Amino acid sequence: MAEHPELLPYGIIREDLFRPLSRAGRKWWFTVAVCFLLVLAGLAAWGVQLRDGLGVTGLNRPVFWGLYIVDFVFWIGISHAGTLISAILRLTDAAWRKPVTRAAEAITLFALMIGGLFPIIHLGRAWFFYWLIPYPNARLMWPNFRSPLVWDLTAIVTYVTGSAIYLYLPLIPDMAQLGAHNKPWRRKLYRALSLGWTGSDREWHALEMAMKLNAVIILAVAISVHTVVAWDFSMSIAPTWHSSIFGPYFVVGAIFSGIGALIIVMATLRHTLHLENYLIKRHFDNMSKLMLTMSLLWFYFTMSEHITIWYGNEPKEMAVFGQRTRGDYAFWFWTMVVVNFVIPVILLGIKKLRSIKTAVIASVGVLIGMWLERYLIVIPTLVTPRLASATSFYSPSWVELMITVATFAAMIMLYLLFARLFPIIAVWEYKPHSPEEED
Amino acid sequence: MERRNFFKILSTASAGALATGCGTDTDKLIPLLVPEQDLIPGVEYWHPSVCTSCSSGCGVVARVMDGERIIERSTEGKTEKLRQRLAAVKKLEGNPLDQVSGGRLCARGQAGVQALYNPDRLRGPLKRSGVRGEATFQPISWKEAIAEAADQLMKVKNEGADRIALVTGTVSSTRSLALRGFAKAIGAPEPLVCSVASHAAERKAAEIALAWQGLPFYDIANARHILSVGADFLGGWVSPVNYARQFGAFRQARTEIRGYLAHAESRLSITAAAADQWLPLKPGSEAQFLGAVGRILLELNLAPKAATLPPPVLAAFQALDLASFIAATGIEERKLRAAVEQLGRSEGPLVLAGASTIHTNSVDAIVASHYINMMLGTIGTPGGMQAPPKSAIDPLTAVKFSESLAQARAIILDEANPLYTAPKAAHVRESLMKAGFVLSFATTLDDSAAWADIILPAHHALEGELAVAPATAAHLSLAMGGSFVQPLYDTQSVPATLAAIASVMKVTFQPATAKEIAEPLLPKDLTWETVVREGGFHVEAAALVTPAARTKKAPKAAAPLRAVSFSAAKFEGDGPFLLQPYLSPQHHEGASANLPWLQECPDPASSAVWSLPVEIDPVTAQRLGIATGDNVKLESASGSITAPAYIHPGAVPGVLSMAIGGGHQHFGRFASGRGVNPLEILALAYEPATGDLATGATRVRLTRVGPGKDLIQYSAHDKEERPHGHR
Amino acid sequence: MATGNPVKPHRWGMVIDLDRCTGCEACVVACHAENNIGMSDPEEAARGRVNHWIRVDRYYEGEFPDVKVKYQPVLCQHCDEAPCEPVCPVNATYHNPEGLNVQVYNRCVGTFYCANNCPYTVRSFNWFDPKWPEPMQLQHNPDVSIRPGGVMEKCTFCIQKIKRVEEQAHAGSRPVADGEVQPACVQSCPAEAMVFGDLNDPDSKVSRFAGDGRATKLMEELGTKPKVIYLEKAR
Ligand SMILES: Nc1nc2c(c(=O)[nH]1)N[C@H]1C(S)=C(S)[C@@H](COP(=O)(O)OP(=O)(O)OC[C@H]3O[C@@H](n4cnc5c(=O)[nH]c(N)nc54)[C@H](O)[C@@H]3O)O[C@H]1N2
Ligand SMILES: Nc1nc2c(c(=O)[nH]1)N[C@H]1C(S)=C(S)[C@@H](COP(=O)(O)OP(=O)(O)OC[C@H]3O[C@@H](n4cnc5c(=O)[nH]c(N)nc54)[C@H](O)[C@@H]3O)O[C@H]1N2
Ligand code: SF4
Ligand code: SF4
Ligand code: SF4
Ligand code: SF4
Ligand code: SF4
Ligand SMILES: [Mo]
Repeated sequence: MAEHPELLPYGIIREDLFRPLSRAGRKWWFTVAVCFLLVLAGLAAWGVQLRDGLGVTGLNRPVFWGLYIVDFVFWIGISHAGTLISAILRLTDAAWRKPVTRAAEAITLFALMIGGLFPIIHLGRAWFFYWLIPYPNARLMWPNFRSPLVWDLTAIVTYVTGSAIYLYLPLIPDMAQLGAHNKPWRRKLYRALSLGWTGSDREWHALEMAMKLNAVIILAVAISVHTVVAWDFSMSIAPTWHSSIFGPYFVVGAIFSGIGALIIVMATLRHTLHLENYLIKRHFDNMSKLMLTMSLLWFYFTMSEHITIWYGNEPKEMAVFGQRTRGDYAFWFWTMVVVNFVIPVILLGIKKLRSIKTAVIASVGVLIGMWLERYLIVIPTLVTPRLASATSFYSPSWVELMITVATFAAMIMLYLLFARLFPIIAVWEYKPHSPEEED
Repeated sequence: MERRNFFKILSTASAGALATGCGTDTDKLIPLLVPEQDLIPGVEYWHPSVCTSCSSGCGVVARVMDGERIIERSTEGKTEKLRQRLAAVKKLEGNPLDQVSGGRLCARGQAGVQALYNPDRLRGPLKRSGVRGEATFQPISWKEAIAEAADQLMKVKNEGADRIALVTGTVSSTRSLALRGFAKAIGAPEPLVCSVASHAAERKAAEIALAWQGLPFYDIANARHILSVGADFLGGWVSPVNYARQFGAFRQARTEIRGYLAHAESRLSITAAAADQWLPLKPGSEAQFLGAVGRILLELNLAPKAATLPPPVLAAFQALDLASFIAATGIEERKLRAAVEQLGRSEGPLVLAGASTIHTNSVDAIVASHYINMMLGTIGTPGGMQAPPKSAIDPLTAVKFSESLAQARAIILDEANPLYTAPKAAHVRESLMKAGFVLSFATTLDDSAAWADIILPAHHALEGELAVAPATAAHLSLAMGGSFVQPLYDTQSVPATLAAIASVMKVTFQPATAKEIAEPLLPKDLTWETVVREGGFHVEAAALVTPAARTKKAPKAAAPLRAVSFSAAKFEGDGPFLLQPYLSPQHHEGASANLPWLQECPDPASSAVWSLPVEIDPVTAQRLGIATGDNVKLESASGSITAPAYIHPGAVPGVLSMAIGGGHQHFGRFASGRGVNPLEILALAYEPATGDLATGATRVRLTRVGPGKDLIQYSAHDKEERPHGHR
Repeated sequence: MATGNPVKPHRWGMVIDLDRCTGCEACVVACHAENNIGMSDPEEAARGRVNHWIRVDRYYEGEFPDVKVKYQPVLCQHCDEAPCEPVCPVNATYHNPEGLNVQVYNRCVGTFYCANNCPYTVRSFNWFDPKWPEPMQLQHNPDVSIRPGGVMEKCTFCIQKIKRVEEQAHAGSRPVADGEVQPACVQSCPAEAMVFGDLNDPDSKVSRFAGDGRATKLMEELGTKPKVIYLEKAR
C-alpha cells in the first residue's frame, strides 16, 4: 500500500482508475437491479399517493409534517458531504483531498436531487409545485417572498445548479481523456461532455479559476441552504422550533452526516473498486478527525439547545422537551445521543481504536443518529401542540416508508451508475505537469 | 314576539339576502312547494317546519335552494342516468318565531338534513322475501302493499282487534295523532310509546303532586338559584334547546344578576359540567337527596310557604331519618347542608328535578321536588315552576309495552325501534318473530323494521305536512311544517298511508290535519294563513278566547294524591357496579345514529367519535388494570356487552355510564354494527307508577377483556396542562 | 341598533361567553351544515383526521368529587397578526380588508406550513377528495365551494354569510346592522354563548363585550392578536 499515490506512474493510475468504467461484475448488476426495483416501488407508492391523496400517509391533524420532511432535511444534510468538504479542502489546498473530492461531490448532487424531491412529494397537490417558482406569468401571480418555503426553493435550486457545475468542471479533463473510449456511445458521450477540451494552458487556467471561484460560491450556498432549511422550522412559532441557533445547528448536523456518508462511500469504493492504493488510511484518519470535531460540535449545539429549553421551563416547550427526553420519544432520543456522540467519541477519539472499520461503524451510527435527530425535531413538536386538546400521535404509513427506502436505493443506484460512467477519482489531478511525462 | 315584526326578524336573524331585484323580504317565507322551474339559482327560500328528532318539537326554518341529483330512468329495458333539478334543503336553523327553539337548534336538530338526504333511505314500499328477521326484502307497489297490509290487519282484527299493537315514539304530532285515530277506528288499543325518553315519571309526578296534566315548564331564565336533581336539562332531557337558551339568559342576560346552578346527578353530564357546583349522587338516591333538602329547609326555617304543604306531606318530610338519607346520597353532610342553605337564602330559588336516568323511585323523587318548590313558594311565579299549558296534541303515555307486544298478533311500528330501545329481557325479538304480521313505516331500515313483513316508508318530516306539540312550553303551542320539497323517493306520509289502509279495510278513519287541530285554538287576531307562514303559533292561556278552544278541555285530572314517599331505589341482579345508560346530546335515544355528522361530533365527555365508551372512574380502573381504550365486558343477569373503556376523571365510583346510540344491528351504512347498546343488557325493572323502564336499575359485573381499538377519540387529552415542568 | 360606518371597513370579531357555553356541540354540527366540510369515516377518524372547523376543547381539573370541566369552543381566531399567513409560499391564506384570515382553496398547494404555524391548531386538511354518497350532495351549500383533496381549509367566519348580508345592505343603501351577520355556529348556539359583529363599531355587542372584565384572548401572549374574544366563566 503506497503512502503516496501521487508517486505511482501516471499510466498505472490511469489504468487503475479507468478500469471500473469498462468492467461491471455480477454484484454490480445485481445491486443496480435491486435498487432499481426499489426505486420503481417507491415511484409506485408515490403514484398511489398522487392518485388517492395525502391520506395514504400517516399524517394527521396536527402532525402535518412527517417522514417526508425528515427525509428532506436528512438528504439535504447528506448533500453537505461533497461541496463543503471538497470546497474546504480545495480552498485550503489540502494535498490529501485528491482522491476524495469527486466521490464527495457526487454524493452532494445525488443527495440534493433526492432531497429536493421531498418537498414536492409532500405537497397536497404536488402537480402544482411550480406555483412556488417566481416566474413571470400572465395572471401576475407571484409566490409569497416572505415564506421560508420560497427561500428554501430558491436556495435548493441554486444549490443543485451550483453543485452540478461543481461536479462537472473537474470532470472535463477526465472526459477528454475518455473521449477515446472503445465503445462508440461512450465516445460520443464523453466527447460531447468534454466540450472540446484540448488541454491548452489557457483552458487549464480558466478551469482552475472557475473551480476556485465555484468553491467559494458553493461554500456560501451550502451554508445558506441548510440555514434556510433550518429556518423552515425556526421561523415558525411551534414550540422548540422557534430557535435562533437552528441555522448553525443544522449546518453542523449536515456536515456531520455528510462526513458520515462520505466515509461509508469511500470505504465501499476502496473495497469494491480495489482503490486501496488511492484511498489510504491517512484519508480515513483525516476524515475521522473531522467527524470527531463535528461530533463534539453537534453535541455542543444539542446541549445548548436543550439546556436552554429546560432552564427556561416554558410549559409549551417543556411539553416537547419532556416528550423527547422522558416521554414517548425518549428511547430514540437517547439512542441518538449515543450514536451521534458517545460512540464516535470513543471509537474515533481514542487513537488506538481509530481504523477504517471503526470509522465506518461510527459513520453508520451517525447516519442513523442524524436521521433520528431530524425525526426528533419534527415529530415531537407536532404531536405536542400548544393547545393540549390537539395532542396527537404519528406513525408513518407504508407509502412513506416505501418512498423513504426507495430514496436510499436511488442514492445507491445513482452512485453505482455514476461510478461506472465516470472515474470516481479525478485522474487528471495525478497528472504530472510536464507533457513529456505523459505515457 | 310582535307578530308584525316577524318578517323583519326572520330576514335579519335567520335568512340571508335575496338577490337584489327578486322581490321584497316577505317573499322569503314561501309555505308552498316551489316548482322546480321557479327556483332561481343562488336564491334562497326559507320554509318553516319542525324537528322531530326528539319530543321537544323545536320549530325550524329550512333553507331551500335549487339542487341537482342523478336519477335513473328505465325506458324499454334501457336504464339511463338523468340529471334532475329539484328544490333541495340546504340547512336547518331554528325558527326565531318558535317559542321552544327561539331560532336555535341542538346538534341533532342541525343534522336533520342528513336524515332527509341519507343515502340509506328506503326508496319505496318493501315486502319481506326471506325468513322474517333476515332483512331480505323485495320492492312492491304501494297499491299491493296497502292491500296486503289491510288484508293482514283485517284478519287479525277479526280475531280480536285488541291483539293489534301499535308502537310509536315520543313526538306528539299529527302523525302520532293519526296513529291513535287509526287504532281507535279499527278497535285496537291506544298506541304504545316505546322510548327511554318519554318523561312519563315527570308527567306522573306533576299529576300526583299538583294535579297537572303534562310536563311542568321551568322558568329557568328568571330564576336566581337553581338546584337541579337528576335532570340533565342541558343535555338529554325534556327540551334541551329551550332550557339551554334559558340557561344562557339565567347566567348572563341580566346586568346585576348571575344565576347560580347547583346540580345533583350521578353522572358528570354536560349540565353538571356547566353547573357552579356538582353534587355527585349515588344512583337512585335522588328521592333521599330531595327528602333531605326539604327537611333541612324546614329545619333552617328557609321554607316560607311550608304552610301550604298538605299536612301529610309536611309530616313525611319531618319524619324522615335525615342522617340515613344523607348517607344514602353519598354527599358529605356539610356540603349538602351548605348547598341547601344557599338555595333557601336565594331570592329566586328553583328546584328542578327529573329522571334522565329512570329509577324505580323516580316518581317519588320528582314528587318531592314539587313539594320543595311548594314550600319555597316557587310554583307559578316568575323564575319558578309553571303549570303546563293545555296541549294541542295530547301525548301518549308509556306503559309496559313489551308485555302488550308479547300478546300481539299484529304489530305496527311507527317512529319506534323497540328492538333497540328495549332490553333483551323484554323479548321484543320473540314477540316480533311470533306475531302474525309486522308492519313498519320506517324511513330507513332499522333494527325493528328488519323484522317487518311490509315496510311502507314514510316521508321525512320535511317532505310532508306535519304539526308537532312540544313536550314542554310556556304556552299552548304548535310547530308546523308544510310540504315544500318534493319527496325524494316513493314514500308517503303516515297519516295518508293509514287512511289508505283504513279505506281498504273499510273502516272510517280520516286523519286530522294541522288546520283542524289548530283552528279551534287560534285566538281572534291570528289567522290560519299567518300560522302557516310562521310555522306555528303559541297562545297564552288568557288569549284562549274562542269557544271552541274552551270546550276542548284538557283531560280531567284525578284529585292529587297529595302524598310523598321516599322509597329506596331497587336494583336488579348482582354485581358490584351499576349500569347507567344515558341520553347524550348527539345520540339521545340512538335514532339519529345513522347521521355521520353526529357520529363524528365528539362526545362531550369522552371526546369519542364514531364510537361510544363506558365511563369508568379512575380508582376502579386502576384496581382492575383498565386503561382508556381497553375493551371491557359488562355482564348483567340478562346478558353481556363488550365496549371500550374511557377512564373518566369525573365518573362516580361504582357507576358505569354509557351513552345510548351504538349497537344498531340494522341502521344504514353509518350505524350498522357500530358499537354496542347498553340498553340491551338492562334488567326488566319498571318504575311502578308509570310502567316506564327503569334504565338505571341494573347491576353489572365489569371485567377487562384486553386492549382494543374501538375507541376513537377526537381529543384524547383530558388535562389542560401537560406534565414535565421542573420547578 | 348600531349603524356601522359605511366608509370604514368592517372588522369582524366574535365573542364566546364561557359562562353560557354548555359544551353541547351544536356549533360543531352547524358549521358542518353550513360549510360543506368533508365527512370522516371511522378509519379516517382513528387516524386523527376528523375535520372540524370549530371544536369544543374539553379539559378536566381536579379529582372526584371536586372535578371541574372546562369547555371551550375553538375556531380560527382570525388573528390580526396571523402566523399562518406569512409562511404560505403561494399567498393562499391572507388577510382581507375586513380583517378576516381568508383561505383561497384554488391557490393552496398543500404545504401544511400554515397549519404547523397556527398555534391554535384550527386548520384542517383534505386528506382525500371528499365523498358524499348520493343524494347527500343535495345538502351542499352552493355559496361555499367544495374543496378537493390536497387542500388546506379552516373556519372562514362564514364569509359567504357576511357577503350576503353586505350585498343586501349595499342594495338597500344602508349599513349592516349589528347582529345581522350570524355565522352558522353563532346562529345555532342554544345557549347564545356566541356573538358576532363589527369590532370597528364601538356600539356593537362584540365591541362592548370586548371591554368586559371577563374578556380574554387565547394565547394572547404570542402576539397573534386574535379576533375571537372569550368571556371567562364567572366564579
Ligand atoms: N370554457 C370556458 N372558457 C372560458 C370561461 C368559461 O367559463 N368557460 N370563462 C372565461 C373567463 S371569464 C376567464 S377570466 C378566463 C379565465 O381563463 P384562465 O385565465 O385560463 O383561467 P383558469 O382556467 O382558471 O386557469 C388558470 C391557470 O392558472 C393556474 N394557476 C393557478 N395559480 C397559479 C400560479 O400561481 N402560477 C401560475 N403560473 N399558474 C397558476 C391554474 O392551475 C390554471 O391552470 O376564461 C374564459 N374562458
Ligand atoms: N370555482 C371557481 N369560481 C370562479 C372561477 C373559477 O375559475 N373557479 N372563475 C371566476 C371568474 S374569472 C369569473 S369571470 C366568474 C364568472 O362568474 P359569473 O359572472 O357568475 O358567470 P357565469 O357563470 O357565466 O354566469 C353569468 C350568468 O348570467 C346569465 N346571463 C347570460 N347572458 C345574460 C344576459 O344577457 N343578461 C343577463 N342579465 N344575464 C345573462 C347566465 O345565464 C348566467 O346565469 O366566476 C368566478 N368564479
Ligand atoms: S331539542 Fe329535539 S326537537 Fe329540538 S332541535 Fe334538538 S332534537 Fe330537534
Ligand atoms: S353551541 Fe354554544 S353552548 Fe353549545 S358548545 Fe357551541 S358555543 Fe357552547
Ligand atoms: S387561528 Fe390559526 S389559522 Fe386562524 S388566523 Fe390565527 S394562526 Fe391563522
Ligand atoms: S397548505 Fe396551502 S394555505 Fe397552507 S401554507 Fe401551504 S399552500 Fe399555503
Ligand atoms: S364562523 Fe362559520 S366557519 Fe367559522 S366555525 Fe363558525 S360556522 Fe364554522
Ligand atoms: Mo373572468
